Amino acid sequence: MKLALSIDSSPERMDLLAPAPKTRFRLGDGPELCADVEMPEPGVYSVLIDGRSYEARVEETPAALVVVIDGQRFEIEVRDPRRLTRKGAGGAADGVQTVAAPMPGKVVRVLAAAGDAVEAGQGLLVVEAMKMQNEMKSPRAGKVLSLSAKEGATVTAGEVLATIG
Amino acid sequence: MRKVLIANRGEIAVRVIRTLREMGIGAIAVYSDADRTSLHVRMADEAEHIGPAASAESYLRIDKILAAAKKHGADAIHPGYGFLSENADFAAACEDAGIVFIGPSSDSIRRMGSKTAARQTAIAAGAPVVPGIDHGATLEEVRAFSAEHGFPILLKAVAGGGGKGMRRVNRDAELDAAFRDAASEAERAFRSAEIYVEKLVERPRHIEIQVLGDQHGNMVHLGERECSIQRRHQKVIEESPSPLIAAHPEMRHEMGEAAVRAARAVGYYNAGTVEFLVDQDRRFYFLEMNTRLQVEHPITELVTGLDLVRLQVEIAAGGRLPFDQSQVTWSGSAIECRIYAEDPYNHFLPYPGKLTRLTRPLGPGIRLDGCVYEGWTVPMEYDPLLAKLAVWTGSREESVDRMLRALREYDVGGIRTNIGFFRQILEDFEFRKGHLHTGFIDEFFARTPPPEAPPELRAVAALAAAIHATRRTDIAAPVAASASSRWLSEGRGGLLR
Repeated sequence: MKLALSIDSSPERMDLLAPAPKTRFRLGDGPELCADVEMPEPGVYSVLIDGRSYEARVEETPAALVVVIDGQRFEIEVRDPRRLTRKGAGGAADGVQTVAAPMPGKVVRVLAAAGDAVEAGQGLLVVEAMKMQNEMKSPRAGKVLSLSAKEGATVTAGEVLATIG
Repeated sequence: MRKVLIANRGEIAVRVIRTLREMGIGAIAVYSDADRTSLHVRMADEAEHIGPAASAESYLRIDKILAAAKKHGADAIHPGYGFLSENADFAAACEDAGIVFIGPSSDSIRRMGSKTAARQTAIAAGAPVVPGIDHGATLEEVRAFSAEHGFPILLKAVAGGGGKGMRRVNRDAELDAAFRDAASEAERAFRSAEIYVEKLVERPRHIEIQVLGDQHGNMVHLGERECSIQRRHQKVIEESPSPLIAAHPEMRHEMGEAAVRAARAVGYYNAGTVEFLVDQDRRFYFLEMNTRLQVEHPITELVTGLDLVRLQVEIAAGGRLPFDQSQVTWSGSAIECRIYAEDPYNHFLPYPGKLTRLTRPLGPGIRLDGCVYEGWTVPMEYDPLLAKLAVWTGSREESVDRMLRALREYDVGGIRTNIGFFRQILEDFEFRKGHLHTGFIDEFFARTPPPEAPPELRAVAALAAAIHATRRTDIAAPVAASASSRWLSEGRGGLLR
């Protein structure tokens, strides 16, 4: 099975040549590897490669899978190229950009509304957590396509707060 | 004493409950709306709801806490740190209500509470202080001071704390704007625009002395803690002994004596901490006194073998110090890391949320003071301290290695923490050499490239993500939050078949 991945925002190809538990796979132009994969706890993968033991903890977030190995954190999106729809490629070409909450918190101020024209760097809303306020700015000049957050609303990390096009 | 109410939450409330239990004393917890399922409430013998999540409506309400203490028949109140712990009015209200306040007298708190009054006390007690104007100063006075002592200088809020209203000024041209900004920030934060000024000590170490006194005039110091590793003026790694003092042991005695003199000058009893700055020439200067139990007290407990909370309770009950200065001994090396829900690679922004996974470090020489469990949501209303991880071994070098081992075992899922960042710091050459100062973290970021993952870890991560994702039928769809429970009910699907 061929998969298109994005690892910390850089694209990668993966070939899964044999299924788990005795997996064979290749990442990008790297060597073909044999891995013994077990899942002793939900979301925790014990991986043995060439006698070396790794433990990968996978967590599902709205934006991507977060994989932690030995304290290293990777944000990984997985797509099957055969199933890629317009949506996968369309967004970037149109230049539509999303503004997501960097941390969980509360919306304390909304500074723009859907339909507004905004400059790059213009404040859209202010999110507060633990008395620290963080202004979310527009990544580009354009029009606010959506901004549904209301003052007082609780948001989770990675939650899309606005789209600009 | 039969029952003690803990006017606090989080890890320190849990810490106090543990000692109360060992002493056979009943523990009463108080909690806000945000803390009904927090660990301190679950562990306590009794618990009382005191209001909404905002601390101004709950943990800072003297009336509600005293009402809870009376309702539950508390003999004493332990204030922990933060919240009301250094509030002289609270200590006085306890005294008036006939409830023992486990801490110093309200008078001692008041006299050490204002930074400028504390400075004058220290000067009178013969403790060295950084040159400065120790009262609210005008811009003209500050200008005259800098003309005499030179730049850089540090402007600070008289009523301040936590870095608010603090400004470094490098040259005269910056002074007007810095003074104006500091005063308005102080006005907003503390409702007092009064600013004082100190000569700035370059690359200082922060070293503090634990003192302990009873109500019969006996007082000892329990040695030092070095707390130079700070972010946003808040300590994140502490150790005892200080690497500097380990190399210059006479300093412990000199600083200890100065700390005891300053504390005695305000008639201090119970546990307290005198903070010092130490400059590059090993001169030390009184900074302030914290009139409460300190966050980082466990490392002092590890090297002295004492239980400070037990001693606090015994002293508050009128007991005498069970030892004198000559009987205090220190052994080995202890280090503590404060584990926060925050993102160290994004300006240490707080990162509250639900803990989906938790694996705690165990094994030789580990002490963990925490308040979290799997499935708990870190509230966004309070300081995001999850736990204090402390280790002890016979030497600093081994303690650094042990801390690295413990951090490797520590896994917290669902939120971001500073665990990985601590591993970077503890492997840093300068840290291992003990070359510490309060600007260490800023310099570390400036000279250290962001961590890059070894390629084999990247491959394993990719494999785990691929297997995790392809077990679902439609991998292009957004990841559903219920996916893991679906995984459990269906058993091994997809590639793990």
